[in-house]
Amino acid sequence: MENRENQGRNESTENGALSVNSEAYEKYLNITHRLGRLMTVLVLLLLLSAPYLIGLFLHAVPNLPAAAKAFLGVGLVYLISCVAEYLIYVPMLGAGGSYLAFITGNLINMKIPCAINARDIVGVKSGTPENEIISTLSIATSSLVTIAVLAVGVMLMIPLQPVLQSPSLQPAFDNVVPALFGAMACKYYRQDMKISLVVLAAMTLLFIFIPSLIGSTSMMVIPSGALAIVLAYRSFRKGQKGEGK
Amino acid sequence: MELLSLLNSPVLYLICGGIIFFVAVICLVFAVRAYKMGKALGIDVTKMRRVITASATFAVLPSVGILLGVIALSGSLGTPWPWLRLSVIGALHYETQVAEAASESVGIGSLSIANMTPEAFVTIALLMSFCIMWGMIFVTFHGKAYTKRLSGEKKDKSAGASAQAQKKKKKPDLKRFGDTAMTAMFIGLVSAYIASYFGTIVSENGRFTFTGNWLPLAVAAVSALAMEGFIRIKKTGHADWVDSFSVAGSMLLSMAAAVLIGKFA
Repeated sequence: MENRENQGRNESTENGALSVNSEAYEKYLNITHRLGRLMTVLVLLLLLSAPYLIGLFLHAVPNLPAAAKAFLGVGLVYLISCVAEYLIYVPMLGAGGSYLAFITGNLINMKIPCAINARDIVGVKSGTPENEIISTLSIATSSLVTIAVLAVGVMLMIPLQPVLQSPSLQPAFDNVVPALFGAMACKYYRQDMKISLVVLAAMTLLFIFIPSLIGSTSMMVIPSGALAIVLAYRSFRKGQKGEGK
Repeated sequence: MELLSLLNSPVLYLICGGIIFFVAVICLVFAVRAYKMGKALGIDVTKMRRVITASATFAVLPSVGILLGVIALSGSLGTPWPWLRLSVIGALHYETQVAEAASESVGIGSLSIANMTPEAFVTIALLMSFCIMWGMIFVTFHGKAYTKRLSGEKKDKSAGASAQAQKKKKKPDLKRFGDTAMTAMFIGLVSAYIASYFGTIVSENGRFTFTGNWLPLAVAAVSALAMEGFIRIKKTGHADWVDSFSVAGSMLLSMAAAVLIGKFA
């Protein structure tokens, strides 16, 4: 009931006040795009130059061939993932929200649910000027909260540095990656247990019979991912044929 | 250990903190502009305030989860760099995977402060920045055209169903497979790493010697169990908030298990 009332109010807002201010809104959007592009490029430059700046302090430069090799392994997966995120989320977030969301990250685990929650509260539809404003407000606020929480948390961590650096805790920090993949395996394997087990078995056999590949696991993501996608496609086609019948 | 002190030095806090501050200013500018435009458009101010309050409260729990991610990475990359990466653009699962891949490529083996060198660190840092920037690039070069096209399509639809819209209806299968392919891709990625832990145990020191390091597989198993626990709590307790902590919480629990296993094994 309340939602319907909200929707009614939104429509009257769009048809009334908005028509009066459509020129101002167009101008707002154009400036948002200009500002968004400029800020995104600036943040990109800052992020890419930071490793070199840190390198000056540490007297080191990035090993570009090694970085390129690693990119071929795991980076390509994220290139595809970024394309999908871009195509799916921009329509939800509008212009201002998209620039902010891609700058601040944590899209799936925070920004998208937060923006959807805000939209539900107010009851707006994608592509409307109200959605543009609400999404931008929501993503800007959530980003500022994350920045504040992390800044306070990191400040509180400074006195704990000696504890975090103690040798007895090293096994924990040496196993960050297995800790991540264990959690992710549980999350993703349950979505298609059959494919997961086949791919895991195939890759395990490969590593057992050719142990030298263990040192290049990131490159082995390519055949592993390809096998999983081929199996998923076969299963998808089979499912489609079943639906057709 | 000396390198870890350098990675936690004030200079790195200054570099990383400076970029984070700049991003905070951008957020503030966008928020103020949106608020003013909302008022000009006649959007109820109470509604906008409700959105701000709701978004702020909504973001607190996931932010604490992200902070746990900073703690998880701080032992191998220092605190300032994970602080920057997870405040701006990044996400815990992405950062860890890319850092691991870069460690391998640069020749230090797995991600660990014991093997870390300054060259390895800056290479890891560069790759972490580079691999996830595509969303920013697309939105910079194509964002305006894309959002305009979307709002144009909306108008077309309201004016009457266009042929283009009907054509689009024929494509849901491809979209459906897109979701499946993304899941499959991540299954492939996770499987490669989990399989390498099996391979390490069986053949690390020679084929079928069964004398390799089993700690990574044990840690992965504990993490998977912890994740299963979080998923069950979410389902049985209808506690969606658990999602904010599930990955970082599982990681920290299994990392604590690594300390215990290391002591008693």
